[in-house]
Amino acid sequence: MSLFFESDNLTLGYGNQLVIKNLDISLNFSKNYEITGKNGSGKTTLIMCISNNFIGNTFNSNIRRKDTSLMEIGSSPSLMPELSLLENIKYFLFNDNINENMISNVLNKYELESFKSDLVGDFSSGMVKRSEIAIADLKNPKVLCIDEPRVYLDENGVDLLLNLITKREKEGSTSILSSQESIGAFTSIERSINLND
Amino acid sequence: MIKKYIIKKELNMEFRNNTSLFLITPTMCVLIIVFPILSENRFRVENDIFLIVELLFLIIFTTLFSIRNPLNEQKLIKELNFGSIKKVDYFYSKTFSELIIFYPQIIILLILFSGFTNTSLNSSLLHICLSVLFFCLNTIMINLFFQIFTTFNNRFVQFTLIVPIYIGFAILIAPLWLGLNREISNIYLMMFLGITMIIYSFTNFYLRKS
Repeated sequence: MSLFFESDNLTLGYGNQLVIKNLDISLNFSKNYEITGKNGSGKTTLIMCISNNFIGNTFNSNIRRKDTSLMEIGSSPSLMPELSLLENIKYFLFNDNINENMISNVLNKYELESFKSDLVGDFSSGMVKRSEIAIADLKNPKVLCIDEPRVYLDENGVDLLLNLITKREKEGSTSILSSQESIGAFTSIERSINLND
Repeated sequence: MIKKYIIKKELNMEFRNNTSLFLITPTMCVLIIVFPILSENRFRVENDIFLIVELLFLIIFTTLFSIRNPLNEQKLIKELNFGSIKKVDYFYSKTFSELIIFYPQIIILLILFSGFTNTSLNSSLLHICLSVLFFCLNTIMINLFFQIFTTFNNRFVQFTLIVPIYIGFAILIAPLWLGLNREISNIYLMMFLGITMIIYSFTNFYLRKS
């Protein structure tokens, strides 16, 4: 089994304040993981560290990671508010071989086709999250990390997200979800990391 | 290294950003028009102070341009990771797009200043354009370096740290604009090119290392 993230003493924090202390973690490709915990337990910090977006103190933790296609849909949006949805898609997917038809199909699927020329800065938080999920669907990264997956999404949005996770599971891609409680999106989970312990 | 999609995105964002093209450039133009009248009550500046004032305007404009839209380290890392964009590609594409935005503006500004003060530099147009090009490249790379590799991303700290560096670059331009003979001007240009290469190597080393 091949690992894409491993640490046997993961300690994370901001300044001198510890958020996560001595966590043993090893994450494999083609497996699903869930991070749960109450507010302030370090879910976002951990998912940011896994997705290489963490800027803080790692206290010289021994972190080994494999260079892979990894994407994080976090609590704050990654899309550029000054660009339209279509410009954002083209910008974030310029490395991938994606044509106009594929973009159009996915935008229709996520009910975003009519908003593709609008600036993302004018979108609601739910629409931004939906757009990020649509981009993740198009990009199909090997590892997808989603922080608080249900937040901002309506019922239909949650269904679309669950469908994407199921599709990824069938394809053998890795998904990592972090929320206060398990949302039961996976049929099989390799490990559930409870940060309350 | 230079990706057209990053350049396109940067240019799009610049045209939609009200604080740069629509605020800084017109403000500088108004200052240029008003300055000679305020200082000498006529559209002419004495030759002795023209060079210094032109350099001062160059530094002010470059500083305003540099601090117009500070990069947020956390947001930038998220953006790059979200699109699987390499830092090195982003850095050089951003440098190129900043040059496209900044270089024509600074040339127009210098021409305007010369026009409104009825005074001109003693150097050849080619030497002026080349010296300004090196100045732009160096200031853009230094500014991006500070924003990407250090946590000095707030405007005040950025301003305090980069202005002395810009003054250093401007001092290198001064002899070229004073109207030295061709051979010495060429030596100064080569020296400026060397400094640009050193800064490029320095930033490249950090980019590859990161």
